[in-house]
Amino acid sequence: MTSSNTSDVLTYREAVFQTMHAALRDDPRVIIIGQGVDDHKGIFGSTAGLLKEFGPHRVMDTPLAEEGVTGIALGAALNGLYPIQTHIRADFILPAMNQIINLAAKYKYMFGGRFQVPMLIRVVIGRSWGQGAQHSQSLQSLFAHVPGLVVLMMSSAQTILESYPYVIRHHPGPVIAFEHRLMYDLKFHMNELRVDHSPLTSFRIRTGKDVTIVATSIMVMEAVRAAEHLAKYSDIDCEIIDLHCVSHPDTDMILKSVSKTGKLVIADTSWKAYGVCAEICRLVCEKAPNMLKAPVVTLGMQPAPCPTAKSLEDMYYPNLMDLTDAIARLVKNRSNHGIPLPDEKSMADVYKKFKGPF
Amino acid sequence: MKTHPVFADSYEELFYKALRIRLFEERIIDLYPSDKIQSPVHLSIGQEAVAVGVCQALKPSDLLFCTYRSHAYYLAKGGNMPAMMAELYGKVTGCGRGKAGSMHLAAPEVGLMGCSAVVASTIPHAVGAALAAKIQKQDRVIVAVFGDGATDEGVYHESLNFAALHQLPVIFVCENNGWAAYSKVSARQAYSIVKHAGVYGIPTMHIPEGYDFVKVYETFADIVTQAQRTRSPYFVEVQMFRYMEHVGVGDDYRQGIRSRDELEAWQARDPLMIRKDLVAKYTPAVQSEIDAAVRYAEASPWPGRDELLKDVV
Ligand SMILES: Cc1ncc(C[n+]2csc(CCOP(=O)(O)OP(=O)(O)O)c2C)c(N)n1
Repeated sequence: MTSSNTSDVLTYREAVFQTMHAALRDDPRVIIIGQGVDDHKGIFGSTAGLLKEFGPHRVMDTPLAEEGVTGIALGAALNGLYPIQTHIRADFILPAMNQIINLAAKYKYMFGGRFQVPMLIRVVIGRSWGQGAQHSQSLQSLFAHVPGLVVLMMSSAQTILESYPYVIRHHPGPVIAFEHRLMYDLKFHMNELRVDHSPLTSFRIRTGKDVTIVATSIMVMEAVRAAEHLAKYSDIDCEIIDLHCVSHPDTDMILKSVSKTGKLVIADTSWKAYGVCAEICRLVCEKAPNMLKAPVVTLGMQPAPCPTAKSLEDMYYPNLMDLTDAIARLVKNRSNHGIPLPDEKSMADVYKKFKGPF
Repeated sequence: MKTHPVFADSYEELFYKALRIRLFEERIIDLYPSDKIQSPVHLSIGQEAVAVGVCQALKPSDLLFCTYRSHAYYLAKGGNMPAMMAELYGKVTGCGRGKAGSMHLAAPEVGLMGCSAVVASTIPHAVGAALAAKIQKQDRVIVAVFGDGATDEGVYHESLNFAALHQLPVIFVCENNGWAAYSKVSARQAYSIVKHAGVYGIPTMHIPEGYDFVKVYETFADIVTQAQRTRSPYFVEVQMFRYMEHVGVGDDYRQGIRSRDELEAWQARDPLMIRKDLVAKYTPAVQSEIDAAVRYAEASPWPGRDELLKDVV
């Protein structure tokens, strides 16, 4: 991984594209394989033009055959290639669950460590604008549940540049990375890349003393926006942890933070039950229940399939107002905290207009 | 129930039904920039003749399972137009109470048993419904509609095998428009779709004229009769051309994905383009029906908080 010392601005899309391009350029084992990777849209631009530069053996469109192609990628990994598979919606990975969970996750352990199947599966969470029940799911916890898989959630251009090159070069097993469609057009400030340790962990991205917010993917940005709002309109000082590697989070970091603040908000992109929210609660309950000065607060999707109507969609996902209010209530220990809330009820509307830099 | 005009003959009836679908989808294109329809749409413009021909041969009690590209089937099978428009608008009066959008239309009252946005995922449902028909000794037939891309999927093969193995009354209709999104058939398939289906011992038919609703109807009516009689599967592949882009209201000619020549060759045979006399004759009636559907959708309320967690389990 090369370290960049500029504080450039980069979009999420450019970050993914750069890592895909560099992987093909620098590593002859790498192939990118997935539906539409070779077309003019190129997985939201993240693979656009790569076919032309690297040829059809390195950048392959596939039949609509998710289970088969995942098994084929696994076989290729067993024989020396590094496959990067893509799905334009996380939902379309579901037909491949058999290969991922029964095979890829177990290939190392089940044979006593005799094999490695290094591969990266990139999936995109669709959200908003009527994507509905089958084009919007955020399925990280299904995979994070299964030993043998590493599951990442990309919250910024920075984490992409830090994670993908590392994973491709150093991680010898299957990795599933969740990208978020709403972030593709957003610009991010780039800081010095954190190259001193593995990115397969969590990142503390804001230090504060009153409350710990553990967040994933786009909810990390929402947490930052809520924290900035609260810093402006109140004395509430938020600490934010980007969980990032949801399968292997930095437990110590979370516990240390909660021991300092005594208050914990968990904001995930998915359903709360049996998911990231539940898992972080488990960690705290098992390791240090006495640290909590108040019950944990969790935010996620409503416990239903995603509806298409905008009126329902806006209720379905937590918005900035909900998040800010939840933090303020928790810290102030009352609902009439009197802190003005951001007048923002639809994240999709905001991100359409405001593109960063974040 | 709305009443259709009196038709001079059965050709005009089919024409009218196809025109109704085309104009409905053209209205979607007109409305789209207003953001009133906030849901991805997969248009069937250019492919209407197949939906019309197939549905004309079916009874309301015959069941149909479709895909995200099913505006045409919803209308052709007799689904309620205002409820469909309201669904596209995300209104609570929609056929899915605002939870379905364009991709998950359903009208069980006329046999449209659901449309799924995951490719190939409803093909086994048709086979299962046919299994139930067999076990319960029903006389209905079941139809599975899917694209050429769906035949890439493993579940498609599993479904054909099961249907043939158990001799189930299911008709597979493959709408071959040559493309799965931006990927050509030749980039995805090493087999011929009908020959491959034939390997399961399922009788097959290939209809090259997907623009010709009469041809599709007459051929399909014979197939339905045969499937009714033999209570066994049948496979039809229809060649067709989708005029618009895979998803959305634009096209993909400028980007050089498909050629305009090919489009024009299909349009030159498309009755809805050629028979300007019949277009003129029936457009006013269809437009006023669509106007009413739009008015209904606009006047309808949004689903409220009480809908959010309703019907989950
Ligand atoms: C399992 C799955 N994989 C991929 C997709 C993305 N996708 C949606 S439609 C489509 C093309 C399908 O082509 P075809 O079956 O020929 O039907 P058409 O769209 O041409 O009507 C693809 C790849 C999906 N919806 N589901």
